[in-house]
Amino acid sequence: MKSHRCLHTLIQTVLILAAVVSCAPSNYDTIALASFTENYVEVSIQLEQTGAGAHVISATFTPPEGYHLYSKDIPITGVDGLGRPTLLELTSSSETMATGTLIESVEAEVPNFGPRELLVYPASAVTLSLPVELPPGNDWIEDELQVTYMACSASQCKPPVVGKIVRVRVPGAEAFDRK
Amino acid sequence: MNKKMTLLLIALSLLACNFLFPQTERATPQPSDIQDPQPTGFTIVRLHPRDGNLQHLLASEAQKAAALGRLPVVEFDATWCPPCQAIDKAIRANNKLMLNAYAGTYIIKLDVDEWGWNNGKVQDFRFDGIPVYFKLDLEGKKTGEVIDGGAWGEDIPANIAPVMDGFFHDPTE
Repeated sequence: MKSHRCLHTLIQTVLILAAVVSCAPSNYDTIALASFTENYVEVSIQLEQTGAGAHVISATFTPPEGYHLYSKDIPITGVDGLGRPTLLELTSSSETMATGTLIESVEAEVPNFGPRELLVYPASAVTLSLPVELPPGNDWIEDELQVTYMACSASQCKPPVVGKIVRVRVPGAEAFDRK
Repeated sequence: MNKKMTLLLIALSLLACNFLFPQTERATPQPSDIQDPQPTGFTIVRLHPRDGNLQHLLASEAQKAAALGRLPVVEFDATWCPPCQAIDKAIRANNKLMLNAYAGTYIIKLDVDEWGWNNGKVQDFRFDGIPVYFKLDLEGKKTGEVIDGGAWGEDIPANIAPVMDGFFHDPTE
């Protein structure tokens, strides 16, 4: 009887602790940098802190229903000229520095149609994340990124967006924590 | 003497025959390019902005189509568009389904990289995906009948050809 009550109390304690932990503000925050829709694809770009001093810039590309985007790994001019990669890049004048390679939220696959090398993502939103090092300091600065993408279905395409410059304001590494 | 006269008469007859029955099928649409001319059945031409004003060009091409007894159709496409290129590839490969579907048409291709997309250069052609096909009247104006890749599924001839065939050869017209 006593052990039963003890177990009951323990479960209650665990549940209360879990609730408290889930309500606690996260140490690692996200800053929306930009969002726009161009050539029928919604793009939202954000800066996230993924660990102490570690940040990623991520872009989520949402094509129209039934449309897919192409793998980040196909050539910029497409496969035999077909398709365009999905890319999130820093430019030569970006103050932010890449510290890793682009990571995709879903794996690209061999298409059921067209050239097999023309890898496509499943027909839904795709997020690309780029690990970055923010510029030093406490100030927010004007910076720029560039995106490339193109949406097609099995039988139709929207026009590509290639190397679109997106102007953003990013915090300096110290400013991120004080934002 | 008789032999010479006979040869002369044959030569004159051939010349007269050529004059009386010109080979209209050989006429090269100018200033557009003929793209992958097909042996029979239909014509494909490509227009470029350097050729002039689109409205005038379409009027001219529609007249050429009428002279050939073919249906003028504008197609917007692009080199980067896999479905557009899949259709061209099937035609180049002389896919029978596609050749039958295209029979009797005069396809006027416009590359969106050259002509733009829903801008002033393409006048009142409005579309939100390629490939897209607009039927023209004999004056080169849109009839209002349009079809795009959304009308079929995966871009293989077995899917495309029946839909295109129905669009190009609408029995109710």
